[in-house]
Amino acid sequence: MGTINAAFGIMSGALDADQQALNVVANNVANANTPGYSVEKPDWQENQPLTIGGISYGQGATETGATSQRDRVLEERLDQQQQLASASGSRLTALNTLQALFTPDSGSSSSRAGDIGSDITNFFDSFSSLEANPTDNALRQNVLSTAGMLAGDISNAAASLNSQRAALDQETAGVTSQVNALTGAIAQLNQQIMTNSPNSDAGTLEDQRQQDLSQLSQLIGINQITTENNGLAITTTSGQLLLSEGTSYQLSTGMVNGVTDFFLGGTDITSQLASGGGSLGGDLTARDGDIPGALDSLDQLAYNISTAVNTQNNAGTTLDGDTGSAANPLYIFNQPTVIGGSAAHMNVVMTDPNQVAAAGAGDGTGDNSNAAAMAAMANQGIVNGQTPTNFYSNFVTNLGSTVSTVQTENTAQNASVTQLQTQNDALSGVNLNDEASAMTTLERSYQAASQVFAMLNTIMASALNLGEQATVS
Amino acid sequence: MRVDPFYVTNLVGSLDQAQANEQQLSSELSSGVSITSLSQNPVGAGQNVLLLSQIQQDDSFTQSSNLVTGQLQVADSALGSVVTNLTQAVSLATRANNGTLNASDVKSISNQISGILNEVQSLANTSYQGQYIFAGGQTSTAPFTTSTATSPAVTTYNGDQGVNYLQSPNGQKIQLNVPGDQIFMGTGANSVFGALNSLIADYSSGAVDTEQAVKDTVALGTALGYVSQQRVTIDNSMTQVTAASDAVTNVQTQLTTAQTDLMQADIPTVSTQLSLAETQQTALEDIIAQLNSTSNSLFSKLPA
Repeated sequence: MGTINAAFGIMSGALDADQQALNVVANNVANANTPGYSVEKPDWQENQPLTIGGISYGQGATETGATSQRDRVLEERLDQQQQLASASGSRLTALNTLQALFTPDSGSSSSRAGDIGSDITNFFDSFSSLEANPTDNALRQNVLSTAGMLAGDISNAAASLNSQRAALDQETAGVTSQVNALTGAIAQLNQQIMTNSPNSDAGTLEDQRQQDLSQLSQLIGINQITTENNGLAITTTSGQLLLSEGTSYQLSTGMVNGVTDFFLGGTDITSQLASGGGSLGGDLTARDGDIPGALDSLDQLAYNISTAVNTQNNAGTTLDGDTGSAANPLYIFNQPTVIGGSAAHMNVVMTDPNQVAAAGAGDGTGDNSNAAAMAAMANQGIVNGQTPTNFYSNFVTNLGSTVSTVQTENTAQNASVTQLQTQNDALSGVNLNDEASAMTTLERSYQAASQVFAMLNTIMASALNLGEQATVS
Repeated sequence: MRVDPFYVTNLVGSLDQAQANEQQLSSELSSGVSITSLSQNPVGAGQNVLLLSQIQQDDSFTQSSNLVTGQLQVADSALGSVVTNLTQAVSLATRANNGTLNASDVKSISNQISGILNEVQSLANTSYQGQYIFAGGQTSTAPFTTSTATSPAVTTYNGDQGVNYLQSPNGQKIQLNVPGDQIFMGTGANSVFGALNSLIADYSSGAVDTEQAVKDTVALGTALGYVSQQRVTIDNSMTQVTAASDAVTNVQTQLTTAQTDLMQADIPTVSTQLSLAETQQTALEDIIAQLNSTSNSLFSKLPA
């Protein structure tokens, strides 16, 4: 049988519970803009009913704390997508800088890497002009000056590519300390979480861990593995252990072949990181794939044009009647020995325009057959079976396609991140309207509880006075 | 269903995109160029390289053809004068051969023909911009020299058989010169200088061996015909250069149009797109302003 005292107990319990729930709401509103904060919902529990004489009487409710609204699967999905989007994003940034070097030529003459196509044509055209008058000094001089333009634009482009690569390299080296700081922080949080709440959501601590994970996901590609007691192990996408519960393993860097490589416990994991994801993955892909690829194309172009033109010039007769020899070769360009680095080192070594061998071997100096042979190289497959112009055109098309593909990828991945973020925010974000309505509800129930309390007080007074007017009211 | 409470962030993202779009479009409008980066149109950028290359090749050929036309004209006019001189020599020889002239007149004809020989030799040694044009590839030395040590005197050719060609962008090879020996030395009886030198020797004494002189005169006539034939080669080359140059100019015009079409921004389309982007931006800004106003929160409806 219930007593008035018991009702008092229930009501004061309800007031306490309402206040605690209001605390939760207040905390939500306060953290509405805190990054990584997951909205918390008050937990209510019905008190154990009292059974007297076979009849069960409810004993009110208790507020037992708050639970963060979180979907671990969704959060992990978001992290994974973030890794992809960061990778393509940083690769795209690098590629945009790269393609800016080769901005399409509008036809006006200027000296840029984008003019390499025009430079190639102008250079070979200078030989077809020389066909018309093989002894003309101005036309010979033109051969050397167009050769200088071509060599200058190619070597400048190569130098720009090399410095872009160096800049990217520095950027990637800086990521290591950020990754180490984050894995260290997560390891600490792991320990706290495993000690404090091995069986349930760790609330704020979990928020912090998720926030660190999402930051880590922007930097490198990771796999998350949940261990017992709410712990967490993290590996790189290719499986190298970065941290296990309370222990984190430091990423270190070292120079290998002139670029920064990344080591984990003595193992070089650079290539795994490159394909793994995160901004580091994107930067490494650009550093070790895209830029060297572009450089290689320029090297092929420089190497093949230089050697083919040098060989042909060496085979002809100069205006002075000389022919090239092994001891004294008639080279227009710096003769490259290997393909690698040809572009960066391309330059014109010939200074005397008379040394341009317009005449064929054994022919008089007025002959133009060697000039014609040089001019004809413009339409021969001297660069990997393609004409120099076609080779450059294909290079430009391929580079543009790569950038465009990565752009599309990045747009799609970002859209997917946005979508997941929206889903996640819908669940974990603080919705102020929800909080306002929760607050109103709690306020009403607090009011109701205090009204009931006041009413009980009156009843209690009546009971104490036993129906008589007395001092107790 | 719960909604994402941070929808304004997404809207701001869209606003950024709309602005980036506007920036791209206005840069197209201001530069007039539609492909400002490779990734915008990779295939177009590649085509642009090829088109520009062809246009440049055509342009270069047009300039070259102007150069060679000058040389060909000089060669043609020199050969024209040679023909005139030889025609005169033939008529002088014919006069000397008819037996009506006295010894001093015959000697005088010998001297006149000798003058013609000098003239023809200097024409055969014609140079263009410092280069002997009838010397084959040996353009730095005078191709013809005459030695009077013997009688008849002997004219020798110091050049070679080198023939230069100019190749047009579509691969046509146009002959630029005819080696001097082919024109003036011919084979056997076709030698201009041989015939002239013989005639000079024939008439130098004043007494004419008519049979020999007639034979040499016939030889000179044949040589004259041969020079005219070789002159046709030069004339043909001139016609070919003009035709090739005209054709190339036509192609160049077409290519330039194609390149302009490829690279030029389509102003009406870009303007329309820009206007759409602007509308979108204004709409987004309005929506953000509306949603951000304080009266939009449930909190604002609660009693103070």
